[in-house]
Amino acid sequence: MDNCSKQAKRDLGSLLPREMLGWRAEEKDHSYDFQTIFDYIDGAGEVYRSYNFKELVVRRFKKEGKPEIIMDFFDMGSSEDAFGVFTHDLEGEDAGIGQASTYKGGLLSFWKGPYFVSIYAEEETEETKDVLLNLGEAVASAIKEEGEKPALVALLSEQEVDIGKIHYFHNHMILNYHFFVADENILLLDQQTEAVLGRGIQEGKEYAILVVRYPEAKKVSQAYNSFVNIYMPDAVEPGLVQTEDMLWTASDIEDNLLVIIFNASSDIIAKEMIKKIKERIGRK
Amino acid sequence: MKKKVITRRDFLRVAAMTPFAGAFASSLKAREKPSFDKARVVLIRDKSALISFNKPNPEVIQRMLDDAVAALLAEKDPLDAWRKLILPSDIVGIKSNVWHYIPTGSVIEQALKRRVMDAGVPEDRIGISDRGVRRNRVFQKATALINARPARTHHWSGMGTCLKNYITFARWLPSYHPDSCADLAKLWYLPQVKGKTRLNILIMLHPLFHGIGPHHFSRKYTWEYNGILVGQDPVAVDTTGLRILQAKRREFFGRERALQVPAKHIFLADTRHRLGVSDPNRIELIMLGWKEEILI
Repeated sequence: MDNCSKQAKRDLGSLLPREMLGWRAEEKDHSYDFQTIFDYIDGAGEVYRSYNFKELVVRRFKKEGKPEIIMDFFDMGSSEDAFGVFTHDLEGEDAGIGQASTYKGGLLSFWKGPYFVSIYAEEETEETKDVLLNLGEAVASAIKEEGEKPALVALLSEQEVDIGKIHYFHNHMILNYHFFVADENILLLDQQTEAVLGRGIQEGKEYAILVVRYPEAKKVSQAYNSFVNIYMPDAVEPGLVQTEDMLWTASDIEDNLLVIIFNASSDIIAKEMIKKIKERIGRK
Repeated sequence: MKKKVITRRDFLRVAAMTPFAGAFASSLKAREKPSFDKARVVLIRDKSALISFNKPNPEVIQRMLDDAVAALLAEKDPLDAWRKLILPSDIVGIKSNVWHYIPTGSVIEQALKRRVMDAGVPEDRIGISDRGVRRNRVFQKATALINARPARTHHWSGMGTCLKNYITFARWLPSYHPDSCADLAKLWYLPQVKGKTRLNILIMLHPLFHGIGPHHFSRKYTWEYNGILVGQDPVAVDTTGLRILQAKRREFFGRERALQVPAKHIFLADTRHRLGVSDPNRIELIMLGWKEEILI
């Protein structure tokens, strides 16, 4: 490890408190990188790898006779990926901490700047909830700068989707976690692609909007062709198909972006949504 | 022949047939009927199995395992059943699970070790390990494996299963992660594993039926089921465990709530990899002990 990396590691730990309401940090933190994360987090380590995470620092807090508290502090390298990994699990109530947060079942999660933070109490009590929220506020205050959300998020409007439930991600595995499209990577997603997935409801049916940005225009054409050839070989017109549930899927490209509407209640609505998103892309 | 891509539309085609997510995979992938007869699984429960969370009662656990193994092998005396499973000449690896929040635990590990020794295997030819199985000398030479792990939902594979418990035999774990760990059954064909498993134990003392956060754990989503599932077919054992977890989710959430990720690897272990039985109609389930809120 070079001096610069050592310095960075020290700085990361310095953002975390050592004591809160009688809970004291263990003397030594533990840290994990892209390769070693599976030593700490089982298969779910794949989620953080999918968001290009740089380093995880784990600090444990103890108080005699009380449940242990574990703080997982992820340096995601960018605010976009910190936001993205936060959107992976949006279950819970807003705790008002960081740039967005959730609290549920003894777990507080939030993001701020390039960091994603998860603080967990081994048993949920009123007391531990208080400690978690105070720890969260202390860490959020120590992170001085806020970060930008991915620009792609602005392409989805609250007129169409539940803005608080948007997922941002890069690869095929995370897409399928939230919305299964195909077992193979037919959209040619990888760590260089960016995608947003939003959901809305119309006429009692849930539809989904997926927008993917590819690093180059050539790649978006390949992805579009791959998608329409495999997903809609029976298209009624280019990029438009009625699926087995009598709903509609539409797809189109604009610049280096691919837009797909799944489960629209009519072909007209599907095409109208595509048109609106393409107009927004044009204005950016 | 080029492999057919399975898309969302394939699911829509079979959705009308069944609401059971796992069965989708089964419907889509089945090429022919598996060749197995009925698989026997024993579910044993005892209200006093736990002293507290993660602290089982050793005497009760030993009795539960004895009764379950005896029923599984249709023997009156548990030791006779164990002697059917393990030979004195065997080298035995007890594959444990050290997951921090709900581990297999020493009570169950030692109860199993005791009976392996009773079957005539000297202590120095018995190993207990989880993450060190590839380096463990006993496991490297093992002629028999006993697979014991707690049941829980799992962030990436849908469920932490007996099938999945062999992931630490893999050289590179992420190679088993694609498509929600669809092909975990391949682990069972690795040279260190293939054909060696004599017994699978899915521990359901306080299973996790829903997960949150990086560690996919909250005590809030565990419950005292006080059960243990035992069988020789890992697919049948896992299928039964999954049915119990899904029933608990229905009860807790008050509605049908699918796992965050379908545990398709269980069904594909049957239909794609032909490792065992995932059809509940072909599983002979023997239920022993406490029946209250059995959920199956």
